[in-house]
Amino acid sequence: MSKVNRRKFITATLGSAFAAAAIYGYYQYTQPTDIKRYSSPSITQKESKSQPTDNSDSLPTPSTQSPAHPPKDAAYLAVAHGENPTEIVETALTALGGIERFVKPGDDVIIKPNICVSYRSFEYAATTNPEVVGALTSLSLNAGAKRVRVMDNSFGGSPEKAYTNSGIEEAVNAAGGEMELMSRIKYRAVDIPQGKDINRWSIYGDILDADVLINVPIAKHHSLARLTLGMKNLLGIVQKPNRFHSNLAQRTADLNSRVHSTLTVVDAVRILKDHGPTGGNLDDVEIANTVIASHDIVAVDSYAATLFGLTGNDIPTIRSGAQMGLGNMDLSSITVEKIDV
Amino acid sequence: MSNKRDSSEKELGRRKKLHQLRQIVQIFTLILFLYLLVGTRKEIITVLPHDLFFRLDPLLGITSILANRVFIVSMMLGVFTIGLTIIAGRAWCGWLCPLGTILDWTPTFRINSSQMRIQSHWIMAKYILLFIIVFTAIFGSLFLIIFDPITILSRTVTSVIIPGFSFLITLVEISLYRIESFQPSIEQFDYLIRSRLLTEQPFFLPNLIIAFFFGLVLTLNIIRTRFWCRYLCPLGALLGIISKTAHLKHRLNQETCISCNQCETICPTAAIDAKNNFFANTSECISCLDCVEICPTKSITFQHRNKINLKSNYNSNRRQLVKSIGVAFFGGVILFVMPIFQVKNYFFIRPPGTDEQALSNKCIRCGECARVCPTGVIQPSYSPKYLEVLWTPILMTRLGYCDYSCTLCGEVCPTGAITKLSLERKQKTIIGIAHINEKRCIPWAQGKECVVCEEMCPIPEKAIKLEKDIVMHSSSEISDVLLPRVIPELCIGCGICEYKCPVEGESAIRIYRAETLKHRAIIGTYRKEHRHLTK
Repeated sequence: MSKVNRRKFITATLGSAFAAAAIYGYYQYTQPTDIKRYSSPSITQKESKSQPTDNSDSLPTPSTQSPAHPPKDAAYLAVAHGENPTEIVETALTALGGIERFVKPGDDVIIKPNICVSYRSFEYAATTNPEVVGALTSLSLNAGAKRVRVMDNSFGGSPEKAYTNSGIEEAVNAAGGEMELMSRIKYRAVDIPQGKDINRWSIYGDILDADVLINVPIAKHHSLARLTLGMKNLLGIVQKPNRFHSNLAQRTADLNSRVHSTLTVVDAVRILKDHGPTGGNLDDVEIANTVIASHDIVAVDSYAATLFGLTGNDIPTIRSGAQMGLGNMDLSSITVEKIDV
Repeated sequence: MSNKRDSSEKELGRRKKLHQLRQIVQIFTLILFLYLLVGTRKEIITVLPHDLFFRLDPLLGITSILANRVFIVSMMLGVFTIGLTIIAGRAWCGWLCPLGTILDWTPTFRINSSQMRIQSHWIMAKYILLFIIVFTAIFGSLFLIIFDPITILSRTVTSVIIPGFSFLITLVEISLYRIESFQPSIEQFDYLIRSRLLTEQPFFLPNLIIAFFFGLVLTLNIIRTRFWCRYLCPLGALLGIISKTAHLKHRLNQETCISCNQCETICPTAAIDAKNNFFANTSECISCLDCVEICPTKSITFQHRNKINLKSNYNSNRRQLVKSIGVAFFGGVILFVMPIFQVKNYFFIRPPGTDEQALSNKCIRCGECARVCPTGVIQPSYSPKYLEVLWTPILMTRLGYCDYSCTLCGEVCPTGAITKLSLERKQKTIIGIAHINEKRCIPWAQGKECVVCEEMCPIPEKAIKLEKDIVMHSSSEISDVLLPRVIPELCIGCGICEYKCPVEGESAIRIYRAETLKHRAIIGTYRKEHRHLTK
């Protein structure tokens, strides 16, 4: 037998460490990420009883209240209307009490726009308006955020191309933020304790760990959810989002109970009224020149539905969210501040 | 080339450096080759033409021009290699060929050459292979071009090494990412190195045949150094024929030769034969110059002018060559007479901008299209039923989908087998047609909601329409759900619906070849049933 010299020893050690890491990685890789716990009926009953509210009219639970105590004159929900997307975003946030209410100095901020496909420019209203994302990036940085990252998991075409073609990459880089490509190593399977339909799913780790999550959906048509707004926008941060569709409304609400959007700003500068969510026809696009912002994702979605001639009650996702106590979908019970710029 | 010429004119005292020089050139060329491969991924970012090596390969040029009966301008760079061979023999094989470089580094058992001697007439195998390739090309089929050394290496790297390595690295990253102190460095590595050098393409299992083929070439090297180059390489055979006229070739000063046998031992392709008074067979010699370096009496040179005491000996194999042409012609005729398979498989989906004829005539099976494909939907075909089109690109629509905003495969194709399409035209090119299997589809079979295919469909008008309808599903229950239906007139068959379909295993919506008879029937009945939808 040949003598083991130092080089051989080091090579063998590194080689076996690599192999061991690969095997462990494979184990992690093949772990089911979306286990649905089939609990016994009695427990399910208990859980459903323990839900704080089934009444959508009641006020949201404290846990979903705004992170900081809002200034007394701050609006619960702000709607700004005007030609310039940057200006209306700034106006809406001022009405909410300023971005400082959400972003504290040194915070790690993640902005989640909707950049679903790589083959549409923002004119087609399939992806979030780049100016809205750019404005939120610079506002967060001005408020002292440590860093601002913008990311989405595009389902059609490569994310790099989607970032570029949507114009968001340019706007974010100009504002001083960074685009992050969502890496498949960063997903983490986590429990969803309040989940009614799903109890565990693989979610992007950095978004779970971020101090502030700013959810910036675009308001558009979706054949199953009817509309895709703030709550459904979070499907871009999970693995295997297509598995949500068998019970889309409840699963989206379950996900939102685990991942809390600190601030939701619905981009309704251009809205897509048909053939969503990918669009591609300018005839389906309507220019609404509006942004809607609030800490309450259900209220924002509920208001955005009115732009399409619907109410929150018509959208199953919003209904489920309100039932789980994620927010308030009854617009008559909250203060809505409408501003024209 | 200049290196080569310089080296041949070097002073006798500097000959020791020849081997090192050759190694440097080889490493440089291999790195260039790999750089062009890695740089042509998701986008073309190389400074030099990404298909440089395919263009330099005269075998690919000649056969694709012959098979296609059209002059392909981009493939004319092969003239450079032919010129190099006329000047310096098979220097391509010894100095530039990336597969040759890898074979040089592959370990060999140094068996005593008298034992297990492979009969010298076996070197004619490569000529027979070459002529069969040329004859089948004349008959209009390029399928034996899978034996070209450049495409062997490129195909292996593309479809096995890059995806396999990428998968392994990702697994290691996933496990190391669990350790908190490693996280920042793993993130940096993933973002800066892995995502730039390696794909996220899926590993397609039948590609292991390609790996096996490459492994065989490497394994044969154990029996003989450069086994592939000696006995099998058709490109080597082509250059071997041309190198009969080489200017710089092995010349021996018989007066100073002491018959020490060292040159015969070191020669990697057994070109030097002691029985032939240590003269070299020029068409076997790969101009590696190892013999020049080892000769103790400096009797071997590769000089241009034939000085009086320097002699070269053509070990002329003319008769054998003619014989092999005869054998090859016979083989070619058999292949020609063999029924040429019509691809009738409904799931043989081709990339946009190509058809069976173009792939049979022009495709050199290099795998460029598979490598650039951002979703990894293009894979080498593998069906043993259709050997004629082995390793031509097909779309595996369960592994990926044809990106609606991408035209890369047509842009990188070196021979134009896949037409370069404008984005506008590509978005209207029919690749296939989707068809829903109502027995698997979630709304149709289970009465549950799912609109993923419609949601994903990139066509502005949506080639999948939803209709609220009542279905009676498996348990005789009745549900009122949105049922997806494909509109064949609008569908281009990009396959994103099949790829994203959440049904486990086989997708509930599949892409069929648009022109298959069966599918026409499907469309026909569909049109009758759902005329109201399409209008």
